[in-house]
Amino acid sequence: MTPLRPQRLAQSALRASRTASRPSYRPTCLLPSTTSSTNNRRAHSTSSVSADEVSHFSGLASSWWDPMGPSRILHLMNPLRHEFIASCLADSSPAGAANAQNSKPESSANLDYLDIGCGGGIFAESLARTIPLDPSASAPTPTRAASMTAIDPTTTLIEIARDHARRDPTVDAHMRSGRFQYLNTTLEDVLSTSTSDSTSPSSPQPQHRQFDMVTLFEVIEHIDPTTTTPQAFLANCLRALKPGGWLIGSTISRTFPSWILNQVIAEAPWPIGVVPRGTHEWSKFVNPSELYSWAQEGLMRAADTNVSRGGPSALDGMQWKCAGAVYVPGLGWKMVPGSEDWGNYFWAVKKGN
Amino acid sequence: MRPISRAALRPYVCPSCRHGVGAGRRRFGTTGSQAPEIYDVVCVGGGPAGLGLLAALRASPVTSKLKVALVESQDLRKARSWNLDSSQFSNRVSSLTPSSVEFLRNIGAWEHLDTERVQDYQDMQVWDGETGSRISFDWSMETSPFEEMRTVATMTENANLVRGLLSRIEASGDENLTLFSNTTVASIENGSDLQTEGPDLSAWPVLSVAPTGAGMQSQSPSRIAARLLIGADGINSPVRSFADISTQGWDYNRHGVVATLALGESDKPTFPANARTAYQRFLPSLGGPIALLPLPNNHATLVWSTTPENAAYLKSLPTPAFLAMVNAAFRLSMTDLKYMISMERSSDQFSHEDELIWRLQHTPQELQPPSAIGVQEGTVASFPLRFRHASQYISPRVALVGDAAHVIHPLAGQGLNLGLADVAALSRTIEYAVAHGMDIGDLLTLERYSSERYLPNAKIGGACDLLHKMYTIPGQGPITWARSLGLDVIDRLPFVKSFLMKNAEGY
Repeated sequence: MTPLRPQRLAQSALRASRTASRPSYRPTCLLPSTTSSTNNRRAHSTSSVSADEVSHFSGLASSWWDPMGPSRILHLMNPLRHEFIASCLADSSPAGAANAQNSKPESSANLDYLDIGCGGGIFAESLARTIPLDPSASAPTPTRAASMTAIDPTTTLIEIARDHARRDPTVDAHMRSGRFQYLNTTLEDVLSTSTSDSTSPSSPQPQHRQFDMVTLFEVIEHIDPTTTTPQAFLANCLRALKPGGWLIGSTISRTFPSWILNQVIAEAPWPIGVVPRGTHEWSKFVNPSELYSWAQEGLMRAADTNVSRGGPSALDGMQWKCAGAVYVPGLGWKMVPGSEDWGNYFWAVKKGN
Repeated sequence: MRPISRAALRPYVCPSCRHGVGAGRRRFGTTGSQAPEIYDVVCVGGGPAGLGLLAALRASPVTSKLKVALVESQDLRKARSWNLDSSQFSNRVSSLTPSSVEFLRNIGAWEHLDTERVQDYQDMQVWDGETGSRISFDWSMETSPFEEMRTVATMTENANLVRGLLSRIEASGDENLTLFSNTTVASIENGSDLQTEGPDLSAWPVLSVAPTGAGMQSQSPSRIAARLLIGADGINSPVRSFADISTQGWDYNRHGVVATLALGESDKPTFPANARTAYQRFLPSLGGPIALLPLPNNHATLVWSTTPENAAYLKSLPTPAFLAMVNAAFRLSMTDLKYMISMERSSDQFSHEDELIWRLQHTPQELQPPSAIGVQEGTVASFPLRFRHASQYISPRVALVGDAAHVIHPLAGQGLNLGLADVAALSRTIEYAVAHGMDIGDLLTLERYSSERYLPNAKIGGACDLLHKMYTIPGQGPITWARSLGLDVIDRLPFVKSFLMKNAEGY
């Protein structure tokens, strides 16, 4: 039983892409107040990448969808993401969009999804595939997706994701109809874009677009703690969430067993290790208890408006969910209750109504 | 049999009619670049495996909305309306293990079979004609007398199974279902990128399907694209060739002689009265085993694996001589049998029978299978025995099931059961994929199927091959002693036997 980072086979390439080509998770992009580069956000996502990292990254890009390639473990984990989302929705379901044709909102595909840090689109495309071609049809899967907006600041990855999505006629149809879209943008951009249907400025409703479900798979542990805080990032994620919606993610806990497995064993010299030395930054891993408190903090910050501060009342109706996942060589990923502290785990925060 | 309703016939659209219907649109431009019709699952081959897969997909609420097509070169309407008198049986009969029957029940197909025409058996007698070593797989010994007796296997005519599966598919409605009957696959190639007009199908298999029969060749074939292309198209699978999957194996240089026999009344009453027994005797000197498997109304199906020369000889015999040879093969010694199979054929109509009667007086009888007293006309036939195993079952957007993936020696009656187990595993895999947003044609999806089925199929195919090789060594020698010791030991060690019985049952 080895808790591993899903990217264990792709460390060097992923590290390059995460640190170099996702600079928008740094505070300059996450927090508009500190920005000096918000105006050329898109430009810097490529300009700050060194030639060495670009070549590294190109290697990853071409193999992102290779089932036997470096992203294999990430692909294998993907079905569990669907199962975890389904379990969250079974616990408590967001209202979703009103649907006149369907009298049973609990079974209709009426949830809008936002996938932050979609990369090559492993999760986003799989969720888009479950969107019914007929919007009034009942949801084919418990994830009940009506639309999917997937964002990543890395231009190359978005291109790969779009290119791959065209190879599936169903997903291609959703891209053409606009119910599935890849945006080469940052979370902050999404938050700063006003929605056309927002009402008067005095309304307490936020001006930006919000989603029923926001997903954040294997992203939070890659935030550089020296330049930003995960709290600030989580608060922004929660701002994108409608009341009653779920923010769902996965990451790795920072505990002794995970240190042994991820640092000592996985990065041992060949033939024991499968990961180049220096891939994992154990100190960046996040424990469930830390996430829980950041989520609380984030909910309160997300409730802040220009005129008032969101207090503890922002936590009313909040729900928290956490489930460990373990990679067993030969068997694949398994949900193991109580294994949150061993390594990989899924977590979810529900915003109160 | 109830008549086929109009609605039921709707999916049986032959491509020429489809062509006529669609003639008004999309006629301009070259047919090659025309967008193909897109299906989720296209199954090539309408035998028990292909139909079983379709029925399983239609039965599951998760996969029932998939758009599926079946391409079959034979006339499915003929298979659907197959009918035979209750005293007659097809010579293509398979032994279904309890797990195969369970699968058919789960997908709601079993109730569409004519269960008057199937026969369970509870006991299996296997012995070596050379040494007399025997093993008896008697399930009723293992269970309490109050329990229902355990079934070793259920003899089912393939035509009954195919008709039942078609009926089950028909009962699922014709929404999202197309059956290309009387249709051959003219070509399979990769699709093209439709650029701004549509999706990129360059990695999708696109089939050109054309109706069979004279006068139809002038029709331009239909083009259908498959998210997942299933090869259920037999030993010379065109789908396997398209996917460039190699296959290893050998021909056994043996033929299986089959026939439907009428049996005489057994001397010993069976207990319980409805218990039936299958008999298999290994005949090393004649090249393989002979098996007598029960059918309803005191009938049985014969499968005699032997050399092509012996098979030709047996098929050329007049009926009384053929029956005498079958009865002799279960009763006489190897020396007697070798003499009888080299007798001049039809010099005297009764010579084989006379030989049998005379020689039986001098042969001690241990086991008495009921004697065959009649052959159903036109059922004596033979087929070559082969071993094949594809190097892999999957390729991007392609999966092989049944004989397209593996062909094994029939001595354990496992061929069709392995095919149905493939289908059960593949339908579960597709169900999982649909429920988790996976692309059902993706390798990451299909590898679940392949890893579930490859080793079990290799194991059972290999075991049958080993049994065949052990039991074709004639005479007295170390191998002969070893195998009779083996059978005797197995017969005396209950736990080894119960392990073997579980494997034979397919659990």
